Amino acid sequence: MSTTTATLPAFGLDDQDGNWRKFPSGRVALLAFVHEECPTCGMSMPLIEAAHRAFGSAIDVWAVGQDEAGNAALIERHALTGPMLDDSDLKVSFAYGFDTVPTVILADGEGAELARFVGFGREDWRALFADLAARSGLPEPAIDWTSYADSRPGCGSKAVEPGIYERLVAESEGSPLRARRIEIAPDDDVAEFFYDQGLTDGLPVVPPTPERVLRMLGGTRRDAQEVVAVVPPNLAPVTIEKIAINAVLAGCRPEYLPVVIAAVEAMCTEEFNIHGVSATTMGATPLIIVNGPIRHRIGMNMRLGALGAGHRANASIGRAVRLVLRNIGGGKPGGTERSTLGNSMKYTACFAEWEERSPWAPLHVERGFAAEDSVVTLFAATGQSLMVDQTSRSGRQLAGSFGLRLEGVYHPRGHSGGDVFVTVSPEHVDTLWRDGYTKEALRNRIQEITSRPIRDLLADAESGAGVPPGRFPDGELDRLLPKFASTANINIVVAGADAGKFSMIFDGWASGAIGSMPTSRKIEEV
Amino acid sequence: MTTPRPGTVVLDPTDEREPIRRQLAPRPEHIQGTIGLLDISKPRGNVLLDQIEQRLHERYPAVEVKRYRKPTFAKPAPEDLRRQIAEECGFVIEALAD
Amino acid sequence: MHDTVWFEIQGIPAVFLASTEFMEAATAQAQSLGLPEVQRAFVPHPIQDATDEEMRAKADAVIDEALAALID
Repeated sequence: MSTTTATLPAFGLDDQDGNWRKFPSGRVALLAFVHEECPTCGMSMPLIEAAHRAFGSAIDVWAVGQDEAGNAALIERHALTGPMLDDSDLKVSFAYGFDTVPTVILADGEGAELARFVGFGREDWRALFADLAARSGLPEPAIDWTSYADSRPGCGSKAVEPGIYERLVAESEGSPLRARRIEIAPDDDVAEFFYDQGLTDGLPVVPPTPERVLRMLGGTRRDAQEVVAVVPPNLAPVTIEKIAINAVLAGCRPEYLPVVIAAVEAMCTEEFNIHGVSATTMGATPLIIVNGPIRHRIGMNMRLGALGAGHRANASIGRAVRLVLRNIGGGKPGGTERSTLGNSMKYTACFAEWEERSPWAPLHVERGFAAEDSVVTLFAATGQSLMVDQTSRSGRQLAGSFGLRLEGVYHPRGHSGGDVFVTVSPEHVDTLWRDGYTKEALRNRIQEITSRPIRDLLADAESGAGVPPGRFPDGELDRLLPKFASTANINIVVAGADAGKFSMIFDGWASGAIGSMPTSRKIEEV
Repeated sequence: MTTPRPGTVVLDPTDEREPIRRQLAPRPEHIQGTIGLLDISKPRGNVLLDQIEQRLHERYPAVEVKRYRKPTFAKPAPEDLRRQIAEECGFVIEALAD
Repeated sequence: MHDTVWFEIQGIPAVFLASTEFMEAATAQAQSLGLPEVQRAFVPHPIQDATDEEMRAKADAVIDEALAALID
């Protein structure tokens, strides 16, 4: 047993009855730091209880437990009548700085340490009981000391467990960072380390040092520990900090972070169904479209090459969302991701709508937001291909071309399911608008052009794809079925360079309740 | 002993359910297949490895032993030698540094 | 030890043999390569001045430990 006159850190904790226990308490106090997983603590509990019963009227005998559920178990198992203080936050244990439980400390009424011992020692407890009797003037309880072992080592304090300790240090220093720290050895290769640990999408990543993550967190006003969403398939909660770490990996700048956060929120909704989107053998991935003032503020590309490579904001925002899905959600190819062929958009697929070039309502306004809101919309896409029409002069002809082209989505005979995302180029939009084609007029024309009798959509010897024969009674075979279940399944935005009579078709996955629905979220104004 | 050089500290991008660190390869229950003996080319190491090879033949007659030699002890083994060993062997004994 | 660590990363159990003179350096290298638990076994010094007979004895003395490091 060691003695010292150092003053111990003051604290206040609740006991199991909700009483607030303040230390120093004005009385001599015995503090016994324990946790339920430690058998040595278990050994000590009867003596702690005996001390409380014998001396509690004069001396505060407090067990201080490191885990909420464990504390309750100890109370029940040992029929504790004495106070069990709840240090499951581990802040007091951390402040006291001990490595081992049980740590038993005797202090005076002003909080000066009188004595302490660690682990279990029968003679330590005997001496302590004699001391408590002398101080209180109360008789020692009858203890069968022979039933106790001589000594037994303690266990590690929860406050020094790796991961927990770093978090406590960060909390005590006021740092917003809580993520586990990984030390990559000086002669290890940082880029290879990330590859080997499975943390990349196959392309190299930017190492997320604490400094870079702190800088990234400057891009949002939200609290770093705020839980933003629960990410399938692991159903792991993701905090702002974890999104920021993956945004650093992806190569984002701090001002992109609010877009990534909103995209993660949208992705993790039931309506978007990212679990299904990732798992499908069809190979789907979120296509991310950004609307509103943020496009200009962070320099997103909505013009020449908007859908392609070379632009940091577009590339890194899409990538960050995929890395969150991979690293937090656990969605990796071969695991829960089962797509047959994959899809190059799974690296990244993000662009902004050129709202100013379009005579039409932008996507987010169509979807119920104010024009001045910054919004991100996710669409589950299985592929992309070009619609080429350099010769149609009228809006009607061009709309017809869209219809003919869209007939091929999934398969020409695949009607009435699924959805599509059409990115109309400026030249195409001019041709349509000149003849008064609104988005809805274009949608209607697409449905008209693609309407075919069910008879023409039947699977047959020429192609086994299509409506199974017998699905519809003979009387129905002349009924016309448009390509899409409704015009609401045709999504339209405008982007691309001023020159070029091409538009881009993004094929969807499955729409409706079992599939995925396009999902939008407002982006934080910073 | 000199102060260890600092490594690079990064924050864990995962949900932290698995440790993210270099780990030893999983080990099988028995020595089987092919063992590679890699001589780092310091003098006398070959004598030690000869004896190890001999004992391996005696103890594990079914196990194949392959011998390899680095061109110099001063550098890590060349990439193609490493790859060859990795392709051909299920275990490696590297010797002898002094 | 670079090579030994590389083999482990490829999924191949490996063990590094060295003289006892190398012990501290081995620990430092293992740390700096990021795999502190890389398997190693030691034989007594001297090496350069040992006879062939002595080297063979060192091999016999270390082989059990070396093989144990390669299996579960």
